[in-house]
Amino acid sequence: MAGIYQKLKPYLNYVVIGVLTLVFAVLSLTGGLRSSDIYMLEKIAISIMLAVSLSMVVGFLGELSLGHAGFMCVGAYLGGKCSCILEPTLGEIPALIVSLLVGGAVAALFGVIIGLPALRLRGDYLAIVTLAFGEIVRSVFMNSSDESFGGSLGLETPRFDKYTLFIIALVLVLACLAVTQNLIRSKHGRAITSIRDNEIAARATGINVTKYKLIVFTVSSFFAGIAGVLYSYSNYTVQSTKFSYNYSIEILVMVVLGGMGSINGSIIAATLITFLDMKLQTILTGNLAVLQDLFYALILILIVIYNNASAFKDFREKYNLKALWAKFKKHDPAHIKDDEAKWDRVPSKIKVDEVLSVDLQTTSPYTPDKGKKGDK
Amino acid sequence: MKSTLKKVLVSVLALTMILCLVSCGGARYTAENTEYVLGVSGPLTGAAAVYGVAVKNSAAMAIDEINANGGLNGIKFKFVATDDAHDSTKVAANYASMLEGGMQVSLGTVTTAPGMEFSKLSQEDNVFFLTPSASGDKIPENANGFQMCFADGNQGKVAADYVNSTGLKKIGVFYKSDDPYSNGIFQQFKDNLDDSVETVEAVFTGDAQDFSTQISALKECEFIFMPIYYQPASVFMTQAKSIIAADAVYYGCDGFDGLAGQFEDFSVIPQEVSMLSHFDSNATTGAAADFIKKYTEKYGAETLNQFGASAYDCVYAIYNAMKAAIDGGKEIPVTISASDLCEILKKEFTGDFSYSGVTGTDIKWEDNGYVSKEAVKYTLKEANSAK
Amino acid sequence: MNFIETLINGLSIGSTYAMIALGYTMVYGIAKMLNFAHGDVIMVGGYMLYVTLTATGNPILGLLAAVVFCMLLGITIEKVAYKPLRGASPLAVLITAIGVSYLLQSTAQIIFGSAPKMVNVASLGNVSFVGLTIPVYVLVTLVCSLVIMTALSLFVKFTRTGRAMIAVSEDKGAAQLMGINVNRIIMITFAIGSALAAFAGLFMLMKSPSLTNTLGAMPGIKAFTAAVIGGIGSIPGAMLGGILMGVVEAISLKIPLIAPYTDAIEFLILILILLVRPTGIMGKKRREKV
Repeated sequence: MAGIYQKLKPYLNYVVIGVLTLVFAVLSLTGGLRSSDIYMLEKIAISIMLAVSLSMVVGFLGELSLGHAGFMCVGAYLGGKCSCILEPTLGEIPALIVSLLVGGAVAALFGVIIGLPALRLRGDYLAIVTLAFGEIVRSVFMNSSDESFGGSLGLETPRFDKYTLFIIALVLVLACLAVTQNLIRSKHGRAITSIRDNEIAARATGINVTKYKLIVFTVSSFFAGIAGVLYSYSNYTVQSTKFSYNYSIEILVMVVLGGMGSINGSIIAATLITFLDMKLQTILTGNLAVLQDLFYALILILIVIYNNASAFKDFREKYNLKALWAKFKKHDPAHIKDDEAKWDRVPSKIKVDEVLSVDLQTTSPYTPDKGKKGDK
Repeated sequence: MKSTLKKVLVSVLALTMILCLVSCGGARYTAENTEYVLGVSGPLTGAAAVYGVAVKNSAAMAIDEINANGGLNGIKFKFVATDDAHDSTKVAANYASMLEGGMQVSLGTVTTAPGMEFSKLSQEDNVFFLTPSASGDKIPENANGFQMCFADGNQGKVAADYVNSTGLKKIGVFYKSDDPYSNGIFQQFKDNLDDSVETVEAVFTGDAQDFSTQISALKECEFIFMPIYYQPASVFMTQAKSIIAADAVYYGCDGFDGLAGQFEDFSVIPQEVSMLSHFDSNATTGAAADFIKKYTEKYGAETLNQFGASAYDCVYAIYNAMKAAIDGGKEIPVTISASDLCEILKKEFTGDFSYSGVTGTDIKWEDNGYVSKEAVKYTLKEANSAK
Repeated sequence: MNFIETLINGLSIGSTYAMIALGYTMVYGIAKMLNFAHGDVIMVGGYMLYVTLTATGNPILGLLAAVVFCMLLGITIEKVAYKPLRGASPLAVLITAIGVSYLLQSTAQIIFGSAPKMVNVASLGNVSFVGLTIPVYVLVTLVCSLVIMTALSLFVKFTRTGRAMIAVSEDKGAAQLMGINVNRIIMITFAIGSALAAFAGLFMLMKSPSLTNTLGAMPGIKAFTAAVIGGIGSIPGAMLGGILMGVVEAISLKIPLIAPYTDAIEFLILILILLVRPTGIMGKKRREKV
């Protein structure tokens, strides 16, 4: 039993998502799913894809991107347009495949275009460039003519059969996971994380930083584009107002709450946030609607502070899930404490550089956290 | 070790999702209704919230009145307002949750952009909707959709006819290029305008608050057509009051309604302000005045506007139509499905049913869902020089 | 003539952006965080101004109340939402900043309702000279912001606190070793930034009296862009970036063909400038040590 589990462990997320997909597919085909559940599943699949692809850039490459919705916007509009044109002649399924490819490819192209300045820019400067890119894309589609992309009223796109679209979306999520996870777990993935940890050192060891940055941006925006096409299929209209920087930030929230550099974390966070968002929206109606954002904001702030504040450090270590689980299994959590990489506490690039730079080394023993390293 | 944590999280996650599906049970739909359920999706939060809130308040007021008078043959109405924050992607979830909660008839959406989505979704299940204020030309394109407000294209055409009849040679147009409402009216206006009329166009986008540039572009115009909502219009007028000639005319559409409430003293604007609309929130006579009195007593004057008036009429129009159908021998049980009710109401609305209320008298509907009622030119404010 | 009027308009829009950008840039320089809630502090300042104006009718009193309230708010936000996260990943702080931004917006809607409030600060009229017609508020905005910016530059350069700010922004650890109370300096920075936001709120409401809970969102983002154009962390850079954005906006709005794309053009300029100068016009190049 344990042996099978150990073997399956790296593929746990495929198994979970795959099984859930099957369960829901059966439920859907037997009519056991309500349309509100179906919309929820579609949205969750799209969010997971966005969060996983953004996590490549933010969590693994270590660059902050605030324009992920821009890539999605490109995919949604071009894929949507493509399906509009092709569906009458090709039929539903071929049109879906072609539009997915077109939407993804064009978004990937834009990913390369945005990846190029990323080679020159650092940190927050890159963040604002991606934000600007997203806003430019949005503005261009917003002001397009009615014939091309529908202008301010949005592009009318065919909606795919809702009882099967979420299955396709979940299968695409699996594909997206396969690509990103294999990339991250390969030698290329280690090169990418080494760029995050220290770009100069990575360059010095002969890693082609330019190549890897472009690869990550391209793959990430490709899947954002695919998510966009799915979005266009799950709605009757694609309206550019949706793809503002607020949406990019929402995706970023999923990645950050999921834990930087953790794909499974991104998946869980994306699911929970989308679920929370939609439940707040449909439960708080009428006079209570004003409370939606309030609750959302409070939950966000509390989670982040609880997860990161140094004041709660002891509390967290004592009462977190893993400790409780270990207690439940009568394990002493102490012996497994040190062998894990602390993914959720990846410092920003500048901080790493400071730590590594010789003249700041002297100050490090004064910071309380460092004491434990000496013990080891 | 980390994976233990993940295992727990993943199982919790799977459990939540399955629990959510099971615990909520199957969809209730209309089978267990004890009241007729009426739903609307509108912006109750965000930048367009004032319109959604007006609709929510007014419709709730109308429902309360109907229920206080014993409902429809003793059956009461229940009103559900969901929030779409003027975002079309939120409509599907709202629509599904309302439908599963037993919604039988709807007011559609408050604004046009989400309305596009709603119109398609409601067609799938054949749910009747009469929208108070989603004025896009395409909103009633399916047989189940009807409008209480004028369609944008219609407003543009009527405004162009008016300008043509005045014989003006040069006019200014000030519109919001990223807003379907503004754009829709503007396009039709331009298409129907005589070629001899020269137009100066100035546009703005988003939540712009500073119009100094647009004002100086329109400085020379004596007639300015402004198919925009009252909030930016009031900002424009305040900023332009001493730059644009005092004898100029600002001419707007139904979006202008509520303008006077934006000023402490409307007479600080020297120019004439008029609009073509179905409701004037400063009306002192008739059904409109009654509505205004009731609304301000209940909710205050702040959110009073034509959206609310129109929503109030929508509720009564649906109520009257249902009543007329029952009088005509149809049966409308409380558990009637949305689709069956839709067929009944469709027949009523495209038949010789007519309704008189706050936003017009003898209102009828064309077969394509557009409303047919008289558009009145209201002069909100005379030019100060005329005093 | 027309062009000069546009230019002056642009300067006035730009000086409002510059005021907001200054707040962004100072907070970034010292706390190394993108304070996305900054735009919403403007909105809170606007509502405070509205409340005081309706109660007393005195705009000066209103401005004072707004400035004081915003400073307190800035300090509170810093204490409650950001300070516990000192030392955590900058992205975590970014997320709380976004949370605070949503929180302020929805609280404002709950308290003040969804209908826009009209805030008539003062009717100032126009002045005309040598054929130019310029609204007085434009001049007031320009002069006020020039005075504030000069004062701020002098404050940072010549007072102990100001120089402590520079020290903290250069190197927090070293500053602490030199006996600077880093927490106090960060608190003061937030207070100053929020006070500037209150001024920006006043300027925006002088221009257009309509006040809603989303008043600060877009100007906040544009000011952030301006701060980056100028080189984030640099005070003269923020002013320059703000003015540049304002002028570009005014000119672009004037040309009908490109007017709908104004926002896109502003962001495009940002990208172009960063491609030529990766750290903004006046940003310092950071040498990386290995």
